[in-house]
Amino acid sequence: MRYLWQMLAALAVLAALSGGAVVTLGLYNVSARVGHLPGVSWVLHTAFRNSVRLRAERPPQLPDLNDPALIELGARHYDWACRACHAAPGVAQSPTMAAMVPPPPHIETAVQGWQPHHLHWITANGIKMTGMPQWPAARDDEVWPVVAFLTAVQDGMTGAAYAALTRLPDGPAPQAYCRGCHTPALGTHVPPLAGQGAAYLRMSLRAYLDGSRASGIMAQAVSRPSPAELDALATWFAQQPAPTHAPPPTPAPLIAQGRALAHAATADPDVPACAACHGPNASESAAETPTLVGLPPAYIRQQLLLWRDGARGGGSRAHLMRVAAQNLSDADITALTAYYTTLETNGTGPENE
Amino acid sequence: MTGSTARVDHIAPSRRLLRSSALLATLALSGCDGRQSVLAPGGADARVLGDLFWVMLGGAIILWLLVNGLFFYVTRINRAALSRRFANGLIIVGGVIFPTVILGALLAYGLSIMPDQRAPGDGLTLRVTGEQWWWRVEYWPEGAEAPIISANEIRLPAGQRSEIILDAGRVIHSFWIPALGGKMDMFPGRETRMSLHPEAPGHWRGQCAEFCGASHALMAFEVVAMAPDDFALWLAAQEAPAAPPADPAGIRGAEVFTREGCGACHTVRGPEGRDSQPRGAVGPDLTHVGSRLSLGAGTLGTTLEDFETWIAHTGAIKPEVEMPAYDHLSAGDLSDLAQYLKGLE
Ligand code: HEC
Ligand code: HEC
Ligand code: HEC
Ligand code: HEC
Ligand SMILES: [Cu+2]
Repeated sequence: MRYLWQMLAALAVLAALSGGAVVTLGLYNVSARVGHLPGVSWVLHTAFRNSVRLRAERPPQLPDLNDPALIELGARHYDWACRACHAAPGVAQSPTMAAMVPPPPHIETAVQGWQPHHLHWITANGIKMTGMPQWPAARDDEVWPVVAFLTAVQDGMTGAAYAALTRLPDGPAPQAYCRGCHTPALGTHVPPLAGQGAAYLRMSLRAYLDGSRASGIMAQAVSRPSPAELDALATWFAQQPAPTHAPPPTPAPLIAQGRALAHAATADPDVPACAACHGPNASESAAETPTLVGLPPAYIRQQLLLWRDGARGGGSRAHLMRVAAQNLSDADITALTAYYTTLETNGTGPENE
Repeated sequence: MTGSTARVDHIAPSRRLLRSSALLATLALSGCDGRQSVLAPGGADARVLGDLFWVMLGGAIILWLLVNGLFFYVTRINRAALSRRFANGLIIVGGVIFPTVILGALLAYGLSIMPDQRAPGDGLTLRVTGEQWWWRVEYWPEGAEAPIISANEIRLPAGQRSEIILDAGRVIHSFWIPALGGKMDMFPGRETRMSLHPEAPGHWRGQCAEFCGASHALMAFEVVAMAPDDFALWLAAQEAPAAPPADPAGIRGAEVFTREGCGACHTVRGPEGRDSQPRGAVGPDLTHVGSRLSLGAGTLGTTLEDFETWIAHTGAIKPEVEMPAYDHLSAGDLSDLAQYLKGLE
């Protein structure tokens, strides 16, 4: 018995020593060329697939993944964030990326066998020890456009279709990249920039850059121009004429309810008068306060939800807006969205009739 | 206080007792400085309650002396066995008849003063709503069609009984001015009422007396009883629109007020017709904030410095307060704002 114990102790010491030697003397060969021992790759990959199936939760309601604007937004993000590793429909993978261990599968293969909520989970969480990155902001709502794109790839997107989706508009370089997304065509999901003041745009771009405003899509986008170019972009966009927009059809009583809330003309004292900061007649407000005129409904609604949950950051005045939104009910958000999306321009619109 | 508790282990029990009772006495006495004390009544209702307290206390002392006297008598003075007749009599008289009469009398006395506590007002009605963590106050003079709005301060005409209607925003609070009367709970969506009758002009303090969240302890208010004529003048001044200061700092301050969206939550009633600002109601009405006696519901004074401190550090002063801290403002903007608000008299 005693002999057995001595044996075990000796073995333990030996194991610790050899483990230490592998780490400190560099005995383990980390070369990707050597690859894994037989079977290890299979074990890792199988563990990954089962882990995703166990953890990904199907949401009660999926967004409309066939929405062409959602697919295009996802494709444009993919093009700058994921393409380097996974290539694109109809395009061969770069030999360097294909030589990773494990290799990132070509996107046409990567999407096979997964359901939308699986793809959402993978894109949001990333995969440990493979080089597949997690979403660079703590926000799951913005992952859906990418999922919409990935399901379109599952449905057999062609190379030509991909090229058309991600083509940049004509015009000078850094602006063209931004205008790819910030265009009326994607207007339901992406806010227009023309119409905002330069100070607000500049502040927002800095907030995306330093992470104080969370958005995986915009964090990736602002990494493309240089910081100096960003300030110039803010000035350029602020000078563009605000796009004319057709207000979506909205029931009049809902607009009236939103207008009353925005002007603190209701019996409910919990909602601050949005109009005091955002206008209409916002000309006297701080330059870093955005106008809400011309913002798409889905965007306003999503931003208000983020503000209420404390998940929307921004510049030095962001805490004002966080406090202003903290007591909004879902019904308030619906009514306020209806009011602000039907305002034509600052100072005009239904409230002056 | 922490210092003395830390040393407690090393001192003899008798001294410890002495110390802790001294501490308790100091705490108790600090409640009697008159501004917020039931023992220094300034109103008819508080006087009745005070009388009730003193009568009860006197009765309790007499009873205590009687019981302990008897106890002393049978254990120390006359240790011989009592006669059966005497003992039976003692039980029936001292144990049944005496308490019944005493309790009955106290009950009758107590019930007799109840109607006073519920007496209707003489004309003026106040409507007070408990918010987290401040007081919305409306004055409804007899026959008024619209209220005169103020906050965090209760002013009453002396020598009259005023009606007070109580309500609450989101959670239960309790309205209590110890020097003027009893306390009354305030419930969201259900009105309760009370009336108060300050006897002479005076200045007291009220406090929320029902736990209502993080800043409950910082939810107080100033109470001022004024001679009826003075009160009428004061009320007329409150009813008037704001008279913003005309000095350059005050004018700049008004611009900062607009620029920073203070109006989203606060109303400053402008002159008739020139009132383009929305009338925010999330926070206290500021039309005459410069004439008030405290800021932040009895938390700070009203010097220029207090205004600046409040605006820039709300959350640090009152935990979870629903006003954002304007710590991004420059020192110049802050001092202009303070000048403007202080000038709103
Ligand atoms: C740095 C390279 C890299 C980038 C950038 C990258 N991935 Fe990956 N990705 C990988 C690797 C490596 C794997 C393989 C994991 C494995 O096989 O276990 C992977 C796996 C995946 C899979 C699962 C494929 C399968 O095996 O079933 C999906 C889906 C995916 N990536 C989508 C994306 C999307 C969408 C983006 C952009 C937001 C992205 N990836 C960005 C490297 C990358
Ligand atoms: C892949 C699409 C995409 C590209 C490319 C893109 N954006 Fe954006 N942008 C978005 C989305 C989506 C949002 C909303 C993000 C959020 O929820 O905060 C946004 C938000 C913004 C905002 C904040 C607007 C507001 O009202 O608060 C600014 C400013 C902005 N983008 C500027 C730029 C600039 C400058 C570029 C070019 C360097 C650019 N964007 C490129 C998709 C894009
Ligand atoms: C005290 C001033 C203030 C009040 C009141 C206020 N906001 Fe804001 N709001 C701001 C500021 C400042 C920002 C920009 C913050 C940042 O990004 O740093 C903002 C941002 C927003 C945005 C995001 C816009 C964009 O382009 O991304 C929306 C939507 C919004 N507010 C809606 C509202 C609504 C609805 C109300 C009324 C319930 C309201 N706000 C009340 C100051 C205010
Ligand atoms: C989001 C709403 C909101 C905004 C915006 C806001 N406040 Fe307040 N304010 C409040 C609330 C709520 C209180 C009451 C806090 C308490 O005592 O619990 C308050 C209290 C005050 C008080 C004390 C009043 C009193 O009678 O005790 C002053 C003064 C004040 N605010 C000034 C300002 C100024 C100046 C601004 C703009 C720079 C501003 N507030 C912006 C909500 C707001
Ligand atoms: Cu309380």
